[in-house]
Amino acid sequence: MTSSQATAARSPDSSKLLSGLRKVATSLAVILTTLLGLLVITFVIGRLVPADPVIAAIGDQADQATYERVHKEMGLDRPLYVQFGAYLSDVVHLEFGQSHITKNPVASDLARVFPATIELATLATLIGAGLGVPLGVISAVRKGTWVDHLGRIVGLLGYSTPIFWLGTIVILVFYAKFGLIPGGGRIDIYNEGLVEGPSGSILLDSILAREWEVFWSALHHVVAPALILGYAAMAYLSRMSRSFMLEQLRQEYVLTARAKGLSQRSVVWRHAFRNIRVQLLTVVALAYCGLLDGTVLIETVFAWPGLGQYLTSALFFADMNAVLGSVLLIGIISIAINLLSDIVYRFIDPRTR
Amino acid sequence: MLRRHFILLASAVAIATGIPLGANAKTPTDQLVIATNMSSMRGLDPHELNQLEAAEVVANLYERLIVLSADEITQPKPGLAESWTVSEDGKTFTFKIRSDVTFHSGNPLTAKDVEWSLRRLVKLGLAPSTDLRQWGFSAETVDSLIRASDDQTVVIETPEVWNADLILLSLASFSTSILDSVFLADKEKNGDMGREYLQTADAGSGPYSLKTWRSNELLIAEAYSDYWQGEPAMRRVILRHFPESSAQRLQIEAGDMDVATRLSSTDLAALEAGGKVEIQKTPGFGFYYLALDQKDEILSNPKVREAFRYLIDYDGLSNTVMKYYGIKQQSIIPAGLPGAISDNSYKLDIAKAKQLLTEAGYPDGFSKVYFATPVTPEFEVAQSIQANAAKAGIKLDLQGGDHIGKFRERDFEIFSARSGERLPDPHAVLASYATNKDNSDEAKLTGLLAWRSAWDVPKEIQDMVTAAAHETDKAKRTELYAQINKAYLAASPALVTSFQRTDAKAVRKEVKGYVGHSTWLTRWDTVTKGE
Repeated sequence: MTSSQATAARSPDSSKLLSGLRKVATSLAVILTTLLGLLVITFVIGRLVPADPVIAAIGDQADQATYERVHKEMGLDRPLYVQFGAYLSDVVHLEFGQSHITKNPVASDLARVFPATIELATLATLIGAGLGVPLGVISAVRKGTWVDHLGRIVGLLGYSTPIFWLGTIVILVFYAKFGLIPGGGRIDIYNEGLVEGPSGSILLDSILAREWEVFWSALHHVVAPALILGYAAMAYLSRMSRSFMLEQLRQEYVLTARAKGLSQRSVVWRHAFRNIRVQLLTVVALAYCGLLDGTVLIETVFAWPGLGQYLTSALFFADMNAVLGSVLLIGIISIAINLLSDIVYRFIDPRTR
Repeated sequence: MLRRHFILLASAVAIATGIPLGANAKTPTDQLVIATNMSSMRGLDPHELNQLEAAEVVANLYERLIVLSADEITQPKPGLAESWTVSEDGKTFTFKIRSDVTFHSGNPLTAKDVEWSLRRLVKLGLAPSTDLRQWGFSAETVDSLIRASDDQTVVIETPEVWNADLILLSLASFSTSILDSVFLADKEKNGDMGREYLQTADAGSGPYSLKTWRSNELLIAEAYSDYWQGEPAMRRVILRHFPESSAQRLQIEAGDMDVATRLSSTDLAALEAGGKVEIQKTPGFGFYYLALDQKDEILSNPKVREAFRYLIDYDGLSNTVMKYYGIKQQSIIPAGLPGAISDNSYKLDIAKAKQLLTEAGYPDGFSKVYFATPVTPEFEVAQSIQANAAKAGIKLDLQGGDHIGKFRERDFEIFSARSGERLPDPHAVLASYATNKDNSDEAKLTGLLAWRSAWDVPKEIQDMVTAAAHETDKAKRTELYAQINKAYLAASPALVTSFQRTDAKAVRKEVKGYVGHSTWLTRWDTVTKGE
């Protein structure tokens, strides 16, 4: 092979590599800009909140000398842009500062509360998708029948019932009245401290440690909040699945498949359903992201020590390091889930490659 | 429909996972479980915190020179100090420290620890340091004024003569807790005297040691087996974060909790009617107050201030929203303290308020912005005042929100909230409500309610408050406070007090010895449980 041939052979590869690198660089720039925007907006909103972090920390009755001293200690005497710049510089060095409420580094707080939310949101998404998608598909296939009507009513109720109300009613009936579920928390207090595993998920860590009593206790505690959140997710996912499926069932290829004499199951699941997988993946990913930062009400009702409760408490007491750290984490996870779903698209839909 | 659906779902999952059903169980007889709201708990350094829930924890992890029992709150009793003497000039206090006390680390507690701890409180200069600084101790002078003369003796000199009780009562506050100075020497970072370490750990000698604390989730304290007064009956005390009042109520009703500490009036009433729990109402040393800005031309008129006294529905509120949260008390000294009077002669009287407004020159009333904290019961009280004021022609634009910052900066017209002091002595309340040495904006005496209201307190009242604090004769002092009480009311103050605060807790009837403490020092080592 001559050198000119070799160059000609390499050039398409090089341009492919270049184009790939450009795409990666663009994606990275978009991600960083999104995260920066998120931090700027949160920082500005945080400053507009009327709560005074100094009074929140030292109490209403403290004198002016104490106030000024703590104000300075918190770095609040510096101009806003300097405060933000210093925060960004810390973030770049993976330092998220200290929470004024918990007095712990924000990173260690997040490492504690986030697995609790992940555990709850993951189970809820599994329940929501596991029940909602089949329900939506069946509703679409049997459009206009009692099954469809039932599915829509169940979906409508899930959509329109306030989650904190449902949580309170469930606690009232199943905990207070019948004693079937625990009244809150992640685990029975008597099992506290028996498992301190690597993942932060008590369910997973107790399995790894073979602490079955702890596992049952954790499972017992997570069922009710996960079912309630799962129900809300199911309502959303069943409506979306139904709508996606109806659109597919109207397509000509479905008519062709039926004309070919394929069975109903084959037409629905092998042909129509295959074509809604990408859309479904998008809405499931969105539902999951929504659950990660939207569990706050259910976390409050069930005293679930997760990210939602941490963030709300931080907002109430103007604990800006904790708020910014939490928002940044939610942002990163949301972007990661979207990126992951983009990658999965490529595997399940050749057209997106 | 919804319920049926949920039951089906719950049953399906329960069956599929083989969950053992049946969740309710009584708490073990050797553990005390307390439902609380931990949202405001930040850090466990006794020389830094200034908050009720955290103070109760610290009260049991650490000990102090003086003890105040809940039933004799104004009587100083021996704690870590087995005895003390006061010099004839009233300025030197000599404490004999117990020799049989060890810290949780195993180190013996000596006078050196007392010296180091009290100096630390003053030197850190954080909010609770007022407990000592108000008597003249400063970072510069404390080393010479507080000193250990040997391992069992501590000498405290005050720069001025104060009534001895004020000093002794201050040494019972959680803020004067004694820390393990030898143990903390290794924990110091950048000269912080162990401040960072103590946020989430303990270095005390109290009946309980800290095992676990996860903010806004859980706190576990374990009985200290070598405690000098004997190992407590409760092996563990567990605090669990339940921000919702209704959740706390259900937990205590089901027997999953022994004590619930932050309950709404509705839930307290329901629990009281249920008969399984006892509702404890602990009087606090603070008031529900209405502050009227004295830089405002209308509100600074004494007759207008007086008119507001007649716009509060004392009796109506007593039977409803304030049933568990307050006791009617219109004078300035809380019930149970020297000089307190129970003459609550003001009543809701719209006609009288209108008459006073007419005499003041405002027969058609006026309009003002009214800031109130949107929490129970403060906001309900504010709404009641707003409705009554409207009947008298005063239009109040009630704005809920966190306005405490504006109140501290004197940027308000009318403001209402609740105060709370920890020193069981009239001086604590009077220092804030009835002294204001410099009423100028520049003075920034933001810790004083009188300054925040821009109220130039009559000099004779301020002089009497100062004289009473220095008076060493008990009878004369009580008489002085009675006089101050009357003079305060007669001055038609800018701070209108209506109810003395009470803190309500629900305690299951099988729990004995858990007694709410007016200065936030509820003890766990006195608790026992029946079956």
